[in-house]
Amino acid sequence: MKIVKSIATGVLLAGMVTGVSTASLAGGHGFKCKVSQESMTKPGGFPDRALTMIVPYGPAGGSGQVAAAMAKAVTELTGVDINRDHKPGGSGTVGMTAYMAAPADGYNVLEHIDDASSAHALDSSKPNPGKDLIPLVISQVTFSQIYIRSSETRYNDWKSFVAWVKKQGGKATIANVSKEGSMERVSMKFITDATGMKIQQISFDKGAPRYGALMGGQVDALFEQPGDVKKFLDSGDFKPILTIFDERPKAFADVPTHTEMGMSFTPLLRFRGFYVNANAPADRVKWLQWAFQRGYCQDSYQKFNDSKFMSVIDSYRDTDGARTLINGAIKQYREVYKSMGMAVK
Amino acid sequence: MIENFLAGTAALFGDPITILIFVFGVIGGMLFGAIPGVSMLTLAAILLPFSAGLEPAQGVMLFAVIYCTGTYGGAITAILFNIPGAPENAPTAFDGYPMTKQGRAGKAVGAAVLCSAIGGTASALLMMAATEPLAKWAIRNIGPPEIFALVFFGLAVASSVGGNTIWKGWMSVLLGLLVATVGQDPVGGINRYNFGMTDLAAGIAFVPAILGFFAVSEIFIQAEKRAFGKYNAPKLDVNFPTFLELWRYKIAVVRSILVGFFCGILPGIGATLAAFMGYGEAVRWSKDKESFGKGNLEGVISSETANNAATGAAMIPLLALGLPGGALTAIMVAVFQFHDMEPGPLVFYNSPELIWVVFAAMFYANVSILFIGLIETKTILQLLRIPFHFLAPMILMLASIGSYIGRGLVLDVMVMFLAGMIGFLLRRSGYSIPGIVLGIILGKIGEQNFAQGMQMVHYDLITYLSRPICLILIVAGAITLGTGVYKALASNRTSADQQ
Repeated sequence: MKIVKSIATGVLLAGMVTGVSTASLAGGHGFKCKVSQESMTKPGGFPDRALTMIVPYGPAGGSGQVAAAMAKAVTELTGVDINRDHKPGGSGTVGMTAYMAAPADGYNVLEHIDDASSAHALDSSKPNPGKDLIPLVISQVTFSQIYIRSSETRYNDWKSFVAWVKKQGGKATIANVSKEGSMERVSMKFITDATGMKIQQISFDKGAPRYGALMGGQVDALFEQPGDVKKFLDSGDFKPILTIFDERPKAFADVPTHTEMGMSFTPLLRFRGFYVNANAPADRVKWLQWAFQRGYCQDSYQKFNDSKFMSVIDSYRDTDGARTLINGAIKQYREVYKSMGMAVK
Repeated sequence: MIENFLAGTAALFGDPITILIFVFGVIGGMLFGAIPGVSMLTLAAILLPFSAGLEPAQGVMLFAVIYCTGTYGGAITAILFNIPGAPENAPTAFDGYPMTKQGRAGKAVGAAVLCSAIGGTASALLMMAATEPLAKWAIRNIGPPEIFALVFFGLAVASSVGGNTIWKGWMSVLLGLLVATVGQDPVGGINRYNFGMTDLAAGIAFVPAILGFFAVSEIFIQAEKRAFGKYNAPKLDVNFPTFLELWRYKIAVVRSILVGFFCGILPGIGATLAAFMGYGEAVRWSKDKESFGKGNLEGVISSETANNAATGAAMIPLLALGLPGGALTAIMVAVFQFHDMEPGPLVFYNSPELIWVVFAAMFYANVSILFIGLIETKTILQLLRIPFHFLAPMILMLASIGSYIGRGLVLDVMVMFLAGMIGFLLRRSGYSIPGIVLGIILGKIGEQNFAQGMQMVHYDLITYLSRPICLILIVAGAITLGTGVYKALASNRTSADQQ
């Protein structure tokens, strides 16, 4: 209890330092579950054994954590165990291939992120998460931001940052995950095109070296999602200078959006969700949709999402909402890839 | 510091449940590290969901203890069966297994026990003394350019190990570097050498490659010897090294503590690079370089001291900055988060009690390695009594499970057997298995940091070399390479003259 109190005090202090609203850090205020059905009969006894959830990323990263939180919530709700099978590698393609090869009997579910949509946009032979899979629920939707060190003296907001970058003649650096066709690289293209600045993107595939690079002054800025750097915002080490979203989320009321800064592109969102093979029996799919959508409402899951800044904007999409999000992302990525001269198949 | 340490000790040993968790972590880490095919990461992954039910200090402490003892546990199988429990134990096998074949397993295991305990304890003490300033120094001064320079230096030094000639040593390292390029490139995400296979896009995993090159190739070699009646079972020896024997290596121990600690502080690097660097430095400073890879006790001492010295150091960026140093410390982030906490600067401010319980537990876990290690080792050594025709299939089975378990891919089992066959053929021709493994492991780390480093300096070598740490390490590596080539050419000339 003593520890909890001191954490709360620390977070409060840090929130004051970073300008991040503590109300949103506490999170979860006024949450209303959109699935009213509290229970559902198992169709034909399904599931009568544990489900397997394939996770195409490692257990410690964002996907691993959301998979663990959702598995816990669904088990609390239904009593059905979920075994997580991590198959990292190839930006999610290894896990996706393994999943598509697994029996489409409803016992196998998949966790995946927006990488599945961008992969299909670039190469249509890869599974379309909106058609080849049925989204059970999208449980995390978040936006990106540009961060600098709070102690930075060369610039202190977006305008002064852009002016400083332009003076460097292409020698300024930003850390991100700039793999070919990634959300980060595409978003950075939008930003550099709109501002006319040249900046060297340094790709770090793991979070720790990426955040360490900004903290240690190895790079000048960082492209990231707020939930992933929450602890550095809490500690006052990082501060956001640009929100890549159409409106200012309350938690970042002091941070300008890209549209306010004269950039008109539609922001690409990072989203994580759960899927089942489209060929799975319809009655089982219906039960899984209920279990995962209602699982999103479990206190434990909501608490998890709050701790990850995932209640800053609406993180919930049911099957139809998820398809709209996925189809929109695929269309947007495909257009961007073509404009970038990439070989869209 | 002493007051805090004593408070941490009191909290650790003042509660029976916490003591039980500590003992479980010590023994569990050692066992999972020592059993071929599974590792401390397997245990950590199994325990992760259960850690939510523990007190925050108990949960974090459990994983920290597993990290200390698990890093040591892998040395046993590396020495006895040529099966490193984890990549960080691979250099231990370079000399440890030849020692077993020479009937000196007891000395190798005894040295591993003692040096793991010394390395880990020293690291824990340094961690307690200066976590925050050390983390801040490392994060400001060591970036991708420096890490690449460190890898280059490590490759230059250690590449001469194990091959019949320096050329074969280098060919082996280059083969390892080539294997490391399979899969998506670490910066642009472009597929390379995956031949359209999705699973290969994730690259060749370390563990199957290590198990194949070390364990499977060894089984093939021993099987061949047995078929031709040349097989000699390893002699059982439970004689530990004497104090005087170990005292001779005091400088190697101190050097490995420093090297291991330095590598451990670097986020995302951890104990693997530490072990290879510790081993490489031992080779570089030795007057008898030729004896490494053939059963030199100093090889075991350096590798095991360095990898355990990295354990305390890896906690520094995690606790002070929230940056995990390797796979197990990344899992520890999740343990913190299960308890609504985030590792990082605020932990020192918010939960000093937790920090000092963890520090004290790591200290005592390393001390436990010495006592439990010495007691259990004599029992474990009896495994060498198992006849080859029972032991070989058992090792192959466990190695197959170990290869599969990491990513759940059949491809990894195939890679293991392929690596075993290639290793078998290359060893007969005098190529270096340590060199290949070194190339695979350091290749991936090196390539990523090279690409990032070059982007940071805008592909300008002058800017790159203007970073003092880079300049020193690159020049030192180049001198080592040049000296090796000069000696090899001189030796060729001498042999030609003699003929």
